[in-house]
Amino acid sequence: MPAFIKRKPMLLFLALLLALGGFFAYMALAFPKVRCEGAHLNAPDEYADCLECHLKTTPKVSQDWHESKHGVLLVKCVVCHGQPDGKGSIPFNPAPDPMFICARCHAPSIQRMEEKFGLKPECESCHPNHQNPMHRNAYENRAPSDKTNF
Amino acid sequence: MTFSRREFLKNSAAAVALSAIGGPALAASGPQTAEKWVKGVCRYCGTGCGVLVGVKGDKAVEVRGDPNNHNAGLLCLKGSLLIPVIYAEDRITEPLIRRGGKKSPLEKVTWDEALEFAASRFREAIKSKGPDAVAYYGSGQALTEESYLANKIWKAGFRTNNVDGNPRLCMASAVAGYLTTFGKDEPMGTYNDFDSATCFFIIGSNTSEAHPILFERIAKRKQSSPEVKVIVADPRRTNTSRIADMHIFFKPGTDLALLNGMAHVILRDEMDNNRFHQRYVIFMDNEGKPKTFEEYKAFLADYTPAKVQEITGVPADTVEKAAKIFAESSASLSLWCMGINQRTRGVWANNLIHNLHLITGHIGKKGASPLSLTGQPNACGGVRDTGSLAHLLPAGRMVANEQHRKEMEKFWGVPEGTIQPKMGHHTVALFEAMAKGDVQAVFIHCTNPAHTLPHLNKHTKGLETAFVAMTECFMDAETVKYADVVFPAAFWCETEGVYGCTERRYALTEQAIKPMGNSRPVVQILMDFAQKAGVDPKLIPYKNAADIWEEWRTLSKGSPYDFYGITRERLKKASGIKWPCPTEDHPGTNLRYVRGEDPLVPKDHPNPISFYGRPDGKVVVYLRPHQPPFEPADADYPFVLTTGRVIDHWHTATMTGKVPELKKAYPSAYVEINPQDAAKLNIRNGDQVVLETKRDKMTFPARVTDTCMPGLVFCPFFDKNKLVNRLFHDATDAASREPEYKICSTKVYKQA
Repeated sequence: MPAFIKRKPMLLFLALLLALGGFFAYMALAFPKVRCEGAHLNAPDEYADCLECHLKTTPKVSQDWHESKHGVLLVKCVVCHGQPDGKGSIPFNPAPDPMFICARCHAPSIQRMEEKFGLKPECESCHPNHQNPMHRNAYENRAPSDKTNF
Repeated sequence: MTFSRREFLKNSAAAVALSAIGGPALAASGPQTAEKWVKGVCRYCGTGCGVLVGVKGDKAVEVRGDPNNHNAGLLCLKGSLLIPVIYAEDRITEPLIRRGGKKSPLEKVTWDEALEFAASRFREAIKSKGPDAVAYYGSGQALTEESYLANKIWKAGFRTNNVDGNPRLCMASAVAGYLTTFGKDEPMGTYNDFDSATCFFIIGSNTSEAHPILFERIAKRKQSSPEVKVIVADPRRTNTSRIADMHIFFKPGTDLALLNGMAHVILRDEMDNNRFHQRYVIFMDNEGKPKTFEEYKAFLADYTPAKVQEITGVPADTVEKAAKIFAESSASLSLWCMGINQRTRGVWANNLIHNLHLITGHIGKKGASPLSLTGQPNACGGVRDTGSLAHLLPAGRMVANEQHRKEMEKFWGVPEGTIQPKMGHHTVALFEAMAKGDVQAVFIHCTNPAHTLPHLNKHTKGLETAFVAMTECFMDAETVKYADVVFPAAFWCETEGVYGCTERRYALTEQAIKPMGNSRPVVQILMDFAQKAGVDPKLIPYKNAADIWEEWRTLSKGSPYDFYGITRERLKKASGIKWPCPTEDHPGTNLRYVRGEDPLVPKDHPNPISFYGRPDGKVVVYLRPHQPPFEPADADYPFVLTTGRVIDHWHTATMTGKVPELKKAYPSAYVEINPQDAAKLNIRNGDQVVLETKRDKMTFPARVTDTCMPGLVFCPFFDKNKLVNRLFHDATDAASREPEYKICSTKVYKQA
């Protein structure tokens, strides 16, 4: 750990706080008409409509999800991640616990994986949630389209 | 107790295995550790997914997909987020009455007082105006035992056929379609056909949002076999079309012409199955007069692809291609839902889909079937099969048929002549009769008509005029505003009962937790109410729901709906069984009417298929001409308005509105409008847009998207603050009496 952090921990904390505050202030002010990252702070009624903003703020993750099986099947962000105010019916977590979240639908698959290969520590290490190859090729036999239905 | 991951999986596997045999099991589930898992069926749509409810102490803490049911463990977002619905803050847990009429407040009272309050009004109504002064308005979400019991209480107890329900609003046209073509209701195929079909023809269904788990199965099938083709025909290009090879936009209300056009191409190019239709099919016109195959061909001469293009707007070569894919695939499966049923010619549209299967022989083999999707979890098993509608009696019997009435009178042990020969009021007529004072008291169970009826401004008068007793779980249901008595009903896994889904599968939801507060199972409420209202106690000798199931199972014995082999014990062990299932050792039926598959077809039957629904053993191809909708767009009202679901919400959102994630994903209704139309009207995303019809006008925020074809606008119907049905007319199908929710004409303009 750098020595100055030991000497001035409060300074670092304040700098981080400022950076974070600045980020949210920028996001809220830079996109005044469209709901965006600032929605986490000022659009409580639409907390669970994640994609609307994340198409702009995290376009790659959003597009990967949209092209994934979960995207085609409309298993939306909140089903696995909860909603950001933490007041949803499942806990908000950017990296959900597979044993709690994935197992709700995929317990039989998890069981088969254990029987075949021994238990893997995380589903995500082999089945990346928002990335190819597993999801990018999902439903590749469908007609090509770059259409977004949202 | 904490579990390692390995221990968790072992327990999870044990839970799955034990749940399958009905025993208690242990499993860990992350933050909330369920102590046991109880088997059931999802509370929402007609897909009928199996669920396991995780219980800790006396609380339900988690819901998972049942790996042993057809959904193989998968759940959609609504099903996986069911728990908050049970513990919603506005659950009704005490009986409530309005002492001083509709405008007085609801007051908490004892069960005895509430039951007597309702029963006395029913007694008075019958005394002053006869038995037809009372009615029951039920639901495709009610348990089978509840619907069967209510049907018996009203038709044999009160002696009125005024028994109808919300299935009239959603699948009555599918029922009449199956009845007219095949002679008996309910499909011949099952979800197993999804795994063998090579052509999916989806018309008038947004399967992706209304039946997500079935959509997953279609997508999986297509992913595993590239030769599989998916055709989606819909005036909206919904998410369902993301896996489609072909999307057919047709002008709203022109589906009959499109289907006849496909039949024309199939016969013109000799892609029909001559051997099949010569053996099994007869042809009939609208009056029921027999016609020949040649006359059918001549009738279809009016539907050349060029003419169909004129009527429907579908390019002629698209009609040709769709017909060719459908006819030449090795197994074609048609799926349809409200887009076909909620039409003034819904029954005809159903017949025309069946026609395609009957002329090509895509029926009675794996993967080939016309399979109507249902919207509610128990419309098929609970209402269609038990005959809980104004014109039906249990197990395929009809009110108008004297022999059928006699059979039911004998079985129920009531004197001959007890059941009236006159049909009761269908839904729209029932609410008109309530407004006129002809029906003075109604018992509403498990549905929300003040939100879902068409032409709401007209039909809520019925609720304002008549005495309304209702069962309800949630205080924010619109109909509660009109209720004189509210009985708090036990919700979903707080009681036990059977659901029968789209594919003839009966599955038991077992009781996982106690009813909340002072709420009671509806079977109990109905029996207590009936006794107080003067129904002969001998008619209702049941201790619990299982006794009612036993009676209903016995009644089905020997009928075309035979499920005598589906005992309560079997239902506790298995994750659903498909009827016909006449004996306890029968595994259930996948291919109905097929020799060697359907136990009701003799093993030595001369033909491989026996359509035993009609006396002559034949099925009917109908010559149904194209007819426009009741209210097409015109110069004054140039747009067509249609309604439907979004994936996040279900029906009137009294349940999904309680789940924070679902509510906040779609907090309110909007109007979907095509960018071309939006540009002409200077409407941008988020603008407030007025929809004005001949009935009313309402304002919605605009969502500019190319989902709707030009000329069409769409509003979801879940939002109680935007009751879009106020804009609709109440014209119904002449045969099924199902209202046309899918099409009305409207003006669209930006709010000044």
